[in-house]
Amino acid sequence: AMECIGHAGAALGILSKNGIVLAAEKKVQSKLLDNEFNGKHSDTSCEKMFKIDDHMAVAVAGLTSDANILINWARTVAQRHTLQYQEPAPVELLIQGLCDMKQGYTQFGGQRPFGVSFLFAGWDVYLGFQLYHSDPSGNYAAWKANAIGSNNTAAVSMLKQEWKEDLDLDQSILLAIKVLLKTMDSSALSPEKLEFSTLTLNEDYKPRFRILGAEELNKYLQQAKEIQEKEDREKEKKKEAEKGK
Amino acid sequence: INAEYMGHKISDKVYVGLAGLATDNQTVYERIKFRSSLYKLREERDLSPKALASMISHMLYERRFGPWFTEPIIAGLDESNNPYVCAMDLLGADCIPGNFVVTGTCSESLYGCCESFWRPDLEPDELFETISQALLSALDRDCLAGWGATVVIITKDKSVTREIKCRQD
Repeated sequence: AMECIGHAGAALGILSKNGIVLAAEKKVQSKLLDNEFNGKHSDTSCEKMFKIDDHMAVAVAGLTSDANILINWARTVAQRHTLQYQEPAPVELLIQGLCDMKQGYTQFGGQRPFGVSFLFAGWDVYLGFQLYHSDPSGNYAAWKANAIGSNNTAAVSMLKQEWKEDLDLDQSILLAIKVLLKTMDSSALSPEKLEFSTLTLNEDYKPRFRILGAEELNKYLQQAKEIQEKEDREKEKKKEAEKGK
Repeated sequence: INAEYMGHKISDKVYVGLAGLATDNQTVYERIKFRSSLYKLREERDLSPKALASMISHMLYERRFGPWFTEPIIAGLDESNNPYVCAMDLLGADCIPGNFVVTGTCSESLYGCCESFWRPDLEPDELFETISQALLSALDRDCLAGWGATVVIITKDKSVTREIKCRQD
Protein backbone atom coordinates (compact mmCIF):
# COMPACT_ATOMS: atom_id res chain seq x y z
CA ALA A 1 0.00 0.00 0.00
CA MET A 2 2.85 2.37 0.80
CA GLU A 3 4.41 1.57 -2.56
CA CYS A 4 1.22 2.43 -4.39
CA ILE A 5 1.09 5.79 -2.65
CA GLY A 6 4.66 6.49 -3.65
CA HIS A 7 3.49 6.47 -7.26
CA ALA A 8 0.43 8.60 -6.72
CA GLY A 9 0.17 12.32 -7.38
CA ALA A 10 2.03 14.48 -4.91
CA ALA A 11 0.30 16.42 -2.17
CA LEU A 12 1.85 18.73 0.35
CA GLY A 13 0.71 20.77 3.29
CA ILE A 14 2.27 23.72 5.06
CA LEU A 15 1.25 25.16 8.41
CA SER A 16 1.52 28.92 8.70
CA LYS A 17 0.64 31.24 11.53
CA ASN A 18 -2.67 32.30 10.02
CA GLY A 19 -3.73 29.27 8.03
CA ILE A 20 -2.85 26.01 6.36
CA VAL A 21 -2.10 25.47 2.69
CA LEU A 22 -2.78 22.17 0.97
CA ALA A 23 -1.35 21.73 -2.49
CA ALA A 24 -1.70 18.80 -4.85
CA GLU A 25 -0.57 17.72 -8.25
CA LYS A 26 -3.31 16.54 -10.55
CA LYS A 27 -2.10 13.24 -11.89
CA VAL A 28 -4.79 12.75 -14.49
CA GLN A 29 -4.88 15.52 -17.05
CA SER A 30 -6.71 15.15 -20.28
CA LYS A 31 -8.78 17.27 -22.58
CA LEU A 32 -11.52 14.67 -22.30
CA LEU A 33 -11.74 14.93 -18.53
CA ASP A 34 -15.08 16.47 -17.69
CA ASN A 35 -15.35 18.87 -14.81
CA GLU A 36 -17.98 17.55 -12.41
CA PHE A 37 -19.62 20.86 -11.74
CA ASN A 38 -20.04 22.12 -15.31
CA GLY A 39 -17.49 24.82 -14.72
CA LYS A 40 -18.93 26.02 -11.42
CA HIS A 41 -16.42 26.42 -8.65
CA SER A 42 -16.83 24.18 -5.62
CA ASP A 43 -15.52 24.91 -2.16
CA THR A 44 -16.12 21.38 -0.95
CA SER A 45 -13.96 19.13 -3.03
CA CYS A 46 -11.79 18.75 -6.06
CA GLU A 47 -9.76 15.86 -7.42
CA LYS A 48 -7.41 15.51 -4.48
CA MET A 49 -8.82 17.59 -1.67
CA PHE A 50 -12.00 17.18 0.31
CA LYS A 51 -13.75 19.10 3.01
CA ILE A 52 -14.60 17.02 6.05
CA ASP A 53 -16.36 19.68 8.08
CA ASP A 54 -16.28 23.45 8.21
CA HIS A 55 -13.02 23.34 10.13
CA MET A 56 -11.27 20.36 8.58
CA ALA A 57 -10.10 19.21 5.19
CA VAL A 58 -7.89 16.51 3.70
CA ALA A 59 -5.53 16.11 0.79
CA VAL A 60 -5.34 12.58 -0.54
CA ALA A 61 -2.58 10.50 -2.09
CA GLY A 62 -3.30 6.97 -3.23
CA LEU A 63 -6.38 5.03 -4.23
CA THR A 64 -9.22 7.52 -4.53
CA SER A 65 -11.82 4.80 -4.03
CA ASP A 66 -10.36 3.89 -0.64
CA ALA A 67 -10.12 7.57 0.20
CA ASN A 68 -13.81 8.12 -0.52
CA ILE A 69 -14.83 5.51 2.05
CA LEU A 70 -12.63 7.04 4.73
CA ILE A 71 -13.70 10.58 3.92
CA ASN A 72 -17.37 9.65 4.12
CA TRP A 73 -16.70 7.97 7.45
CA ALA A 74 -14.82 11.01 8.74
CA ARG A 75 -17.64 13.33 7.68
CA THR A 76 -20.23 11.24 9.49
CA VAL A 77 -18.12 10.98 12.63
CA ALA A 78 -17.55 14.74 12.69
CA GLN A 79 -21.28 15.39 12.43
CA ARG A 80 -22.08 12.83 15.10
CA HIS A 81 -19.66 14.56 17.47
CA THR A 82 -21.31 17.91 16.74
CA LEU A 83 -24.74 16.39 17.36
CA GLN A 84 -23.72 15.05 20.72
CA TYR A 85 -21.44 17.80 22.03
CA GLN A 86 -22.69 20.82 20.04
CA GLU A 87 -19.13 21.81 19.15
CA PRO A 88 -16.95 21.14 16.11
CA ALA A 89 -15.04 17.87 16.52
CA PRO A 90 -11.47 18.39 17.75
CA VAL A 91 -9.11 17.55 14.93
CA GLU A 92 -6.91 15.06 16.73
CA LEU A 93 -9.91 13.15 18.05
CA LEU A 94 -11.23 12.64 14.56
CA ILE A 95 -7.85 11.54 13.25
CA GLN A 96 -7.32 9.11 16.10
CA GLY A 97 -10.68 7.51 15.29
CA LEU A 98 -9.86 7.31 11.61
CA CYS A 99 -6.43 5.84 12.25
CA ASP A 100 -7.81 3.29 14.71
CA MET A 101 -10.07 2.13 11.94
CA LYS A 102 -7.20 1.93 9.47
CA GLN A 103 -5.13 -0.04 11.97
CA GLY A 104 -7.95 -2.54 12.39
CA TYR A 105 -7.64 -3.41 8.73
CA THR A 106 -3.97 -4.25 9.18
CA GLN A 107 -4.45 -6.58 12.10
CA PHE A 108 -7.85 -8.27 11.80
CA GLY A 109 -10.15 -9.75 9.24
CA GLY A 110 -7.73 -10.63 6.46
CA GLN A 111 -8.84 -7.62 4.43
CA ARG A 112 -6.32 -5.42 2.70
CA PRO A 113 -5.41 -2.07 4.23
CA PHE A 114 -6.66 1.22 2.82
CA GLY A 115 -4.21 2.32 0.15
CA VAL A 116 -4.32 6.03 0.99
CA SER A 117 -2.20 8.55 2.78
CA PHE A 118 -3.87 11.65 4.09
CA LEU A 119 -2.73 15.13 4.92
CA PHE A 120 -5.27 16.56 7.33
CA ALA A 121 -5.59 20.28 7.81
CA GLY A 122 -7.76 21.38 10.69
CA TRP A 123 -8.51 24.11 13.19
CA ASP A 124 -10.04 23.83 16.61
CA VAL A 125 -10.29 26.04 19.68
CA TYR A 126 -8.01 23.77 21.70
CA LEU A 127 -4.90 23.58 19.54
CA GLY A 128 -5.42 26.11 16.75
CA PHE A 129 -4.22 25.22 13.28
CA GLN A 130 -2.95 21.67 12.92
CA LEU A 131 -1.53 19.60 10.11
CA TYR A 132 -1.46 15.81 10.43
CA HIS A 133 -0.23 13.06 8.19
CA SER A 134 -1.60 9.52 8.34
CA ASP A 135 -0.62 6.46 6.32
CA PRO A 136 -2.19 3.04 5.61
CA SER A 137 -0.72 1.48 8.73
CA GLY A 138 -2.77 3.79 10.91
CA ASN A 139 0.22 5.81 12.05
CA TYR A 140 -0.31 9.53 12.35
CA ALA A 141 1.80 12.48 13.40
CA ALA A 142 1.46 16.25 13.55
CA TRP A 143 3.66 18.24 11.19
CA LYS A 144 4.58 21.81 10.43
CA ALA A 145 5.01 20.94 6.78
CA ASN A 146 4.86 17.60 5.02
CA ALA A 147 4.49 16.00 1.63
CA ILE A 148 3.01 12.71 0.48
CA GLY A 149 2.85 10.91 -2.83
CA SER A 150 5.47 10.82 -5.54
CA ASN A 151 8.84 12.44 -4.82
CA ASN A 152 7.79 13.15 -1.29
CA THR A 153 11.25 12.63 0.20
CA ALA A 154 12.67 15.31 -2.08
CA ALA A 155 9.77 17.59 -1.22
CA VAL A 156 10.16 17.03 2.52
CA SER A 157 13.89 17.74 2.47
CA MET A 158 13.24 20.94 0.56
CA LEU A 159 10.56 21.94 3.02
CA LYS A 160 12.98 21.23 5.87
CA GLN A 161 15.38 23.78 4.46
CA GLU A 162 12.90 26.42 3.48
CA TRP A 163 10.17 26.32 6.14
CA LYS A 164 10.39 29.16 8.65
CA GLU A 165 8.54 29.70 11.88
CA ASP A 166 6.79 32.94 10.97
CA LEU A 167 5.56 32.31 7.44
CA ASP A 168 2.16 33.73 6.68
CA LEU A 169 -0.41 32.24 4.33
CA ASP A 170 0.69 33.93 1.12
CA GLN A 171 4.33 33.05 1.71
CA SER A 172 3.32 29.46 2.41
CA ILE A 173 1.47 29.28 -0.90
CA LEU A 174 4.55 30.57 -2.69
CA LEU A 175 6.73 28.09 -0.84
CA ALA A 176 4.40 25.26 -1.84
CA ILE A 177 4.61 26.32 -5.48
CA LYS A 178 8.40 26.45 -5.25
CA VAL A 179 8.60 22.94 -3.80
CA LEU A 180 6.14 21.50 -6.31
CA LEU A 181 8.07 23.09 -9.17
CA LYS A 182 11.17 21.21 -8.13
CA THR A 183 9.54 17.87 -7.42
CA MET A 184 6.93 17.61 -10.15
CA ASP A 185 7.83 16.11 -13.47
CA SER A 186 6.63 19.01 -15.57
CA SER A 187 8.76 22.09 -16.02
CA ALA A 188 6.08 24.76 -16.02
CA LEU A 189 3.13 24.92 -13.67
CA SER A 190 -0.38 25.92 -14.63
CA PRO A 191 -3.70 25.82 -12.81
CA GLU A 192 -4.78 22.76 -14.81
CA LYS A 193 -2.06 20.67 -13.23
CA LEU A 194 -2.39 21.94 -9.69
CA GLU A 195 -4.94 22.18 -6.95
CA PHE A 196 -4.48 24.55 -4.04
CA SER A 197 -6.70 25.02 -1.03
CA THR A 198 -6.48 26.96 2.18
CA LEU A 199 -7.96 26.62 5.64
CA THR A 200 -8.12 29.98 7.38
CA LEU A 201 -10.10 31.84 9.99
CA ASN A 202 -12.34 34.58 8.73
CA GLU A 203 -13.11 37.82 10.60
CA ASP A 204 -15.51 36.37 13.12
CA TYR A 205 -13.16 33.52 14.07
CA LYS A 206 -14.96 30.92 11.99
CA PRO A 207 -12.75 28.48 10.10
CA ARG A 208 -13.18 28.48 6.37
CA PHE A 209 -11.98 26.03 3.76
CA ARG A 210 -11.48 27.41 0.25
CA ILE A 211 -10.28 25.87 -2.95
CA LEU A 212 -8.34 28.45 -4.95
CA GLY A 213 -9.81 29.29 -8.33
CA ALA A 214 -7.81 29.41 -11.54
CA GLU A 215 -7.23 33.20 -11.65
CA GLU A 216 -6.14 33.36 -8.03
CA LEU A 217 -3.80 30.44 -8.56
CA ASN A 218 -2.39 32.10 -11.66
CA LYS A 219 -1.58 35.20 -9.63
CA TYR A 220 0.43 33.16 -7.15
CA LEU A 221 2.12 31.21 -9.94
CA GLN A 222 3.13 34.50 -11.54
CA GLN A 223 4.50 35.78 -8.25
CA ALA A 224 6.40 32.55 -7.65
CA LYS A 225 7.86 32.68 -11.12
CA GLU A 226 9.08 36.25 -10.59
CA ILE A 227 10.64 35.33 -7.27
CA GLN A 228 12.28 32.30 -8.84
CA GLU A 229 13.69 34.38 -11.68
CA LYS A 230 15.02 36.92 -9.23
CA GLU A 231 16.71 34.19 -7.22
CA ASP A 232 18.20 32.66 -10.35
CA ARG A 233 19.58 36.04 -11.40
CA GLU A 234 21.17 36.55 -8.00
CA LYS A 235 22.72 33.10 -8.14
CA GLU A 236 24.13 33.92 -11.55
CA LYS A 237 25.58 37.16 -10.24
CA LYS A 238 27.17 35.35 -7.32
CA LYS A 239 28.69 32.78 -9.67
CA GLU A 240 30.09 35.54 -11.88
CA ALA A 241 31.52 37.25 -8.82
CA GLU A 242 33.19 34.02 -7.70
CA LYS A 243 34.58 33.41 -11.17
CA GLY A 244 35.87 36.95 -11.28
CA LYS A 245 37.82 36.32 -8.09
CA ILE B 1 -36.71 37.28 29.29
CA ASN B 2 -36.60 34.01 27.43
CA ALA B 3 -34.97 34.94 24.17
CA GLU B 4 -35.36 31.54 22.57
CA TYR B 5 -35.20 31.88 18.85
CA MET B 6 -37.62 29.61 17.07
CA GLY B 7 -36.53 30.04 13.50
CA HIS B 8 -33.30 28.50 12.26
CA LYS B 9 -31.28 29.03 9.14
CA ILE B 10 -30.43 25.92 7.17
CA SER B 11 -28.96 27.78 4.22
CA ASP B 12 -29.14 31.27 2.74
CA LYS B 13 -32.43 30.46 1.07
CA VAL B 14 -34.03 27.94 3.40
CA TYR B 15 -35.21 28.47 6.95
CA VAL B 16 -36.97 26.13 9.33
CA GLY B 17 -39.14 27.10 12.30
CA LEU B 18 -40.04 24.69 15.07
CA ALA B 19 -42.93 25.02 17.49
CA GLY B 20 -43.89 22.74 20.32
CA LEU B 21 -41.95 21.24 23.21
CA ALA B 22 -38.82 23.37 23.56
CA THR B 23 -36.47 20.48 24.24
CA ASP B 24 -37.77 18.59 21.22
CA ASN B 25 -37.42 21.75 19.12
CA GLN B 26 -33.75 21.93 20.06
CA THR B 27 -33.10 18.24 19.50
CA VAL B 28 -34.90 18.09 16.19
CA TYR B 29 -33.06 21.18 15.02
CA GLU B 30 -29.71 19.61 15.94
CA ARG B 31 -30.62 16.47 14.01
CA ILE B 32 -31.69 18.53 11.03
CA LYS B 33 -28.35 20.32 11.16
CA PHE B 34 -26.58 16.95 11.24
CA ARG B 35 -28.36 15.65 8.16
CA SER B 36 -28.21 18.89 6.21
CA SER B 37 -24.46 19.35 6.86
CA LEU B 38 -23.79 15.85 5.54
CA TYR B 39 -26.04 16.50 2.56
CA LYS B 40 -24.14 19.68 1.81
CA LEU B 41 -20.76 17.95 2.01
CA ARG B 42 -21.79 14.98 -0.10
CA GLU B 43 -23.97 16.63 -2.71
CA GLU B 44 -21.89 19.84 -2.80
CA ARG B 45 -24.99 22.00 -3.02
CA ASP B 46 -27.53 23.44 -0.61
CA LEU B 47 -30.70 21.65 0.36
CA SER B 48 -33.77 22.77 -1.52
CA PRO B 49 -36.77 23.46 0.72
CA LYS B 50 -38.67 20.56 -0.83
CA ALA B 51 -35.84 18.12 -0.09
CA LEU B 52 -35.55 19.47 3.44
CA ALA B 53 -39.28 19.06 3.98
CA SER B 54 -39.11 15.45 2.83
CA MET B 55 -36.13 14.83 5.08
CA ILE B 56 -37.84 16.31 8.15
CA SER B 57 -41.04 14.47 7.42
CA HIS B 58 -39.09 11.21 7.30
CA MET B 59 -37.21 12.11 10.48
CA LEU B 60 -40.47 12.74 12.35
CA TYR B 61 -42.17 9.59 11.09
CA GLU B 62 -39.19 7.50 12.22
CA ARG B 63 -40.56 8.21 15.70
CA ARG B 64 -44.10 7.28 14.80
CA PHE B 65 -44.82 5.57 18.12
CA GLY B 66 -43.02 8.00 20.40
CA PRO B 67 -42.95 11.21 18.45
CA TRP B 68 -40.96 14.40 18.73
CA PHE B 69 -43.44 16.96 20.03
CA THR B 70 -42.61 19.54 17.47
CA GLU B 71 -44.50 20.92 14.49
CA PRO B 72 -42.10 22.40 11.98
CA ILE B 73 -42.51 24.95 9.25
CA ILE B 74 -40.14 25.00 6.30
CA ALA B 75 -39.87 28.15 4.23
CA GLY B 76 -37.50 29.03 1.45
CA LEU B 77 -36.76 29.60 -2.18
CA ASP B 78 -36.09 26.65 -4.43
CA GLU B 79 -33.42 26.50 -7.15
CA SER B 80 -35.41 28.71 -9.51
CA ASN B 81 -36.09 31.16 -6.66
CA ASN B 82 -39.77 30.27 -6.39
CA PRO B 83 -41.15 30.54 -2.87
CA TYR B 84 -42.04 27.36 -1.01
CA VAL B 85 -43.74 27.03 2.37
CA CYS B 86 -44.60 23.80 4.08
CA ALA B 87 -45.98 22.89 7.49
CA MET B 88 -45.95 19.53 9.19
CA ASP B 89 -47.61 17.94 12.15
CA LEU B 90 -45.60 16.05 14.74
CA LEU B 91 -45.73 12.82 12.76
CA GLY B 92 -44.49 14.32 9.53
CA ALA B 93 -47.69 14.80 7.56
CA ASP B 94 -46.85 17.74 5.39
CA CYS B 95 -49.04 20.28 3.72
CA ILE B 96 -47.91 22.64 1.01
CA PRO B 97 -50.69 25.17 0.49
CA GLY B 98 -48.81 27.70 -1.60
CA ASN B 99 -49.83 30.80 0.32
CA PHE B 100 -49.05 30.64 4.03
CA VAL B 101 -48.53 28.15 6.84
CA VAL B 102 -48.84 28.60 10.59
CA THR B 103 -47.85 26.64 13.65
CA GLY B 104 -47.69 27.14 17.39
CA THR B 105 -49.95 27.92 20.30
CA CYS B 106 -52.10 30.55 18.61
CA SER B 107 -52.28 28.84 15.25
CA GLU B 108 -56.08 29.16 15.00
CA SER B 109 -55.99 32.93 15.30
CA LEU B 110 -52.93 33.03 13.05
CA TYR B 111 -54.93 31.20 10.39
CA GLY B 112 -57.60 33.85 10.68
CA CYS B 113 -55.15 36.75 10.51
CA CYS B 114 -53.19 35.36 7.59
CA GLU B 115 -56.35 34.54 5.68
CA SER B 116 -57.52 38.12 5.90
CA PHE B 117 -54.16 39.85 5.35
CA TRP B 118 -52.52 37.70 2.70
CA ARG B 119 -52.66 38.56 -1.00
CA PRO B 120 -50.72 36.91 -3.81
CA ASP B 121 -47.65 38.60 -5.35
CA LEU B 122 -46.58 40.73 -2.41
CA GLU B 123 -43.30 42.63 -2.61
CA PRO B 124 -40.72 41.87 0.13
CA ASP B 125 -41.52 45.04 2.10
CA GLU B 126 -45.27 44.53 1.78
CA LEU B 127 -44.76 40.94 2.81
CA PHE B 128 -42.89 42.06 5.90
CA GLU B 129 -45.75 44.37 6.88
CA THR B 130 -48.35 41.71 6.24
CA ILE B 131 -46.65 38.97 8.20
CA SER B 132 -45.75 41.24 11.11
CA GLN B 133 -49.33 42.52 11.43
CA ALA B 134 -50.75 39.01 11.22
CA LEU B 135 -48.28 37.72 13.81
CA LEU B 136 -48.74 40.57 16.24
CA SER B 137 -52.55 40.51 16.03
CA ALA B 138 -52.60 36.83 16.87
CA LEU B 139 -49.91 37.14 19.59
CA ASP B 140 -51.72 39.87 21.45
CA ARG B 141 -54.74 37.64 22.02
CA ASP B 142 -52.74 34.63 23.18
CA CYS B 143 -51.54 34.43 26.75
CA LEU B 144 -48.82 31.90 25.96
CA ALA B 145 -47.30 33.74 23.04
CA GLY B 146 -45.64 37.14 23.13
CA TRP B 147 -42.46 38.95 24.22
CA GLY B 148 -41.54 40.00 20.70
CA ALA B 149 -41.23 38.48 17.27
CA THR B 150 -38.49 37.80 14.76
CA VAL B 151 -39.30 38.03 11.08
CA VAL B 152 -37.04 36.74 8.31
CA ILE B 153 -37.72 37.86 4.75
CA ILE B 154 -35.97 35.60 2.24
CA THR B 155 -35.31 37.02 -1.20
CA LYS B 156 -33.08 35.67 -3.93
CA ASP B 157 -30.27 38.11 -3.13
CA LYS B 158 -30.33 38.07 0.64
CA SER B 159 -32.37 37.23 3.68
CA VAL B 160 -33.14 39.97 6.19
CA THR B 161 -33.92 39.26 9.84
CA ARG B 162 -35.84 41.84 11.84
CA GLU B 163 -36.83 41.83 15.49
CA ILE B 164 -40.19 43.28 16.38
CA LYS B 165 -41.09 44.64 19.80
CA CYS B 166 -44.62 44.14 20.98
CA ARG B 167 -46.61 44.20 24.22
CA GLN B 168 -44.40 42.55 26.82
CA ASP B 169 -47.19 40.73 28.55
